[in-house]
Amino acid sequence: MSTLIKGVNIHKRYVMSKDNYVDALQGASVEIQQGEMVAVMGPSGSGKSTLLHILGCLDSLNSGEVWLDGRRVDVLTGRDLTRLRRNEVGFIFQTFNLVPSLTALENVALAAHYAGKGKRASDEDAKEALAQVGLSDRHKHRPNELSGGQQQRVAIARALVNKPKVIFGDEPTGNLDSASSEEIVARMHRINRDTGTTFVLVTHDAGVAQTCDRVVHMLDGRVS
Amino acid sequence: MQILRNVFRRKLRVFLTIFGITIGVLALVVMGSMAEKINLLVAGGTRYYSDKVTVSAAGMSSMFSSSLLSVGKRDEIKAVPGVAEVSAQIGTLLDPDGGASFGMPPMLMGGDMRGEDLESFKISYAQGRKLTPQDTGSVVVGADLVKRLSAKVGGSVTIRGEQYKVVGIADKTLTAPDSSVWMTLPDAQKIFMQDVPEMVRNQIDQSAVATSFVVYPTAGTDPETLAADINAAVSGVKATGPSAFQKEIANTTQIFNLILYGIAIISLVVGGLSVINTMTISVSERTREIGVRKAIGASDGQIVRQFLAEASMIGLIGGVSGLAIGWIAVTLVNKALESTNINLFLVTPRLAIGSVVFAVVLGLVSGLYPSLHAARMQPVAALRYE
Repeated sequence: MSTLIKGVNIHKRYVMSKDNYVDALQGASVEIQQGEMVAVMGPSGSGKSTLLHILGCLDSLNSGEVWLDGRRVDVLTGRDLTRLRRNEVGFIFQTFNLVPSLTALENVALAAHYAGKGKRASDEDAKEALAQVGLSDRHKHRPNELSGGQQQRVAIARALVNKPKVIFGDEPTGNLDSASSEEIVARMHRINRDTGTTFVLVTHDAGVAQTCDRVVHMLDGRVS
Repeated sequence: MQILRNVFRRKLRVFLTIFGITIGVLALVVMGSMAEKINLLVAGGTRYYSDKVTVSAAGMSSMFSSSLLSVGKRDEIKAVPGVAEVSAQIGTLLDPDGGASFGMPPMLMGGDMRGEDLESFKISYAQGRKLTPQDTGSVVVGADLVKRLSAKVGGSVTIRGEQYKVVGIADKTLTAPDSSVWMTLPDAQKIFMQDVPEMVRNQIDQSAVATSFVVYPTAGTDPETLAADINAAVSGVKATGPSAFQKEIANTTQIFNLILYGIAIISLVVGGLSVINTMTISVSERTREIGVRKAIGASDGQIVRQFLAEASMIGLIGGVSGLAIGWIAVTLVNKALESTNINLFLVTPRLAIGSVVFAVVLGLVSGLYPSLHAARMQPVAALRYE
């Protein structure tokens, strides 16, 4: 197995005002292998989400390095960063974050559209991704017409549609009941097995963590 | 479609914003169509007077005077070098007690039709034919008066209690001739004399009466210079060139235009501010959505385009509905005033297209700041926003 993601000695400080700041990450280092399914656990405020956002190129760091598939990505800006978010990483959030005015199919196709695909190609890829999460019969439903578990499956399809190397999940089961939660985790495992997509999941749920290949524990902004 | 759905997510607010633009465009269409009507009237006048000299009785300031001239002056004027032809005219109000009206009052015009081949302002006929000097007892009716006089070619119309045969109906010119009735000089002289006080009437020869002369210059003669030459050579008359019309009419209508368009632009600016307000609120309400869109790969440009499309859609809907309501309103008012011959409004293509384009541009410009603000958000900061 080769290394897909490498974070080296990452520091991140959030400055609220002149004398008020939070050191969210204080030298966090982590390595994730290609095809791995990794859970990130730790108490609230330990820097799990911050690490996930920085590894996923949604946030900047103050010092340290982030490598993705052999390329240093923390130094990228603007267009390169946008291209990387489109094609190489996918995100799933605790609150699903679907666009409420769009149907399930349109939500998934949106990511394909942003990646530069035409309408027809976007729709086809979106249908395929929705089939992978078992929602072929829900194309025309809006988010408010879907259950929490179904919404999260749409979100997984959206993360999956551009065939990224890695999908980051920030508490993906945090807003779901246990049955939906199990279903979502099972889906992610199946995708991981079938397509070799790497998963990095921040979670509070020990049950979810248990099913992963490996658990990374965090405390006070470091990987312990 | 997605743009429309996003726009109508907050129905009441968007409706109110669109309503603001609608009222602005409505004002632009109504005010603008009033200005367009006057502009065309003036443009027609400017064109008509551009190549000729008008002669009226001395002491009258305006070319629309109904003061008396003697047809005998024609030969004196014709003798001035540079004059090609002189036509005697009678112009008087169609209704002697018509009162004040907006724009041109309906006019009764009589002429001896000399120099017709020199006339550059050609009138075409919707029905029938033009008038000839032999058509005593007949008239040609201007387009806007057809309904009012119930004119039909071959039929007759009643003017000042007398019946006249209609030989022609003029095409619409969008300027003064639309509200005129033409007849031969002798017929017009007869009607004109009825308006002259009895004491004066007995002392003048009906067949020698005119209110103005139209002087056609020879080719290459400047009408302005010719007017000065006529004033110097002929006593008791006042000759005016094309610039007099410009001075008296065209310049004052420009101020009128400015006021009308000013009112309309102000109401549109208010509409534009409400688009800025709506879009700014929309952007802050949708901060999380913007974060998500950026997280799944939207570029700054794609976010800007999305919000600009929504803002210009608000402008477009407001513009089209403002134009539609405005158009219906001015059409109804014009219809209602048809019998009184007051034709206030004219929606020209350039006004119609211009007002919708203006509304879309207004939406775009108003949406620019909120859109750029949305695009510049950091994805994580936007995602954390509650």
